[in-house]
Amino acid sequence: MRIEKCYFCSANVYPGHGTMFVRNDAKCFRFCSSKCHKNFKMKRNPRKVRWTKAFRRANGKEMVVDNVYEFEKRRNVPVRYDRELVATTLKAMERVAEIRAKREKAFWKNRMSGNTAKNAREAALSIEKHIELVQPKSKTTPNLEEKEKIREKIKVRAASRKLMAQQQIDKAGGASKKKKESRLIPAEGGMGMGMNVD
Amino acid sequence: MGRLRRSRTHHARRDVHRLARTRVRVKDLDQIEIDLRPGNRAKLERQEIDEDKPGLGQHYCVECAKYYETDLALRNHTKSKVHKRRLKELKEPAYTLKEAEGAAGLTTDNKQRGVEDVVKKFEGMSNDEQQKKEITL
Repeated sequence: MRIEKCYFCSANVYPGHGTMFVRNDAKCFRFCSSKCHKNFKMKRNPRKVRWTKAFRRANGKEMVVDNVYEFEKRRNVPVRYDRELVATTLKAMERVAEIRAKREKAFWKNRMSGNTAKNAREAALSIEKHIELVQPKSKTTPNLEEKEKIREKIKVRAASRKLMAQQQIDKAGGASKKKKESRLIPAEGGMGMGMNVD
Repeated sequence: MGRLRRSRTHHARRDVHRLARTRVRVKDLDQIEIDLRPGNRAKLERQEIDEDKPGLGQHYCVECAKYYETDLALRNHTKSKVHKRRLKELKEPAYTLKEAEGAAGLTTDNKQRGVEDVVKKFEGMSNDEQQKKEITL
């Protein structure tokens, strides 16, 4: 049994499926579906049709050079049956598929990493679409008493900040600028994160 | 995605289904590529007189795989947009079944092999995987 590839989209064509066209120079073209067959009859170039594997490969949408692709081969030389060979091959197939999936995922992630703006836009859109899933605002907003407390806190914080700013201005007036000490705890026996360059 | 191609490109190409029949099939680009090889080209351009072909088979455009009635018609054709478009298409190598299979990660290997080869290759790959990990770490 041999699983062929579609001439147009490179999908698998299993025995009993798809269509084969034999040109008058005896060349065979297999198609997975009538869609691919029709596109072939229209003389379209698979390299220019976006949904084909050929396009995706040629335009950097998918991994091209990788040794996970060196396992599936058309072997025209019959291999003598060997139980051990079959066992190792089966084991290897599983593992290879695993590695391949992992690498393809990594490749995809890397390819998609550039468009943060697009991701943000999509996130905003999905929130807008499924707004009913987000917790209603009335539940999260505090009642009057809590609001009052928060306001008090803010007032205190603002006052202290004002005081600090005033102190700094006074210091600056004295023209003795002291370098701000690092608040990070230095590592044992080494320097802290805030380095003193001078 | 937005529109990829401009509209109104179907001028005088109404009956697509009839043109897609096998009996009106014209040469594919990979066949024309073979025709364009120097020896073949010369042969096609100097054909013997054939009463069944248009213009007795004397005015043939190799790139477009088409016979013309007169020399003037052929010359006009070589100046046309259709012909120039075809020239552009022929600049890059034709798409083949091999490329289709290559895109799916299938190549040909006609070597006889045993267990050792499979194990060796498999181990080589897992080592490679480890190396990759080390690089990232």
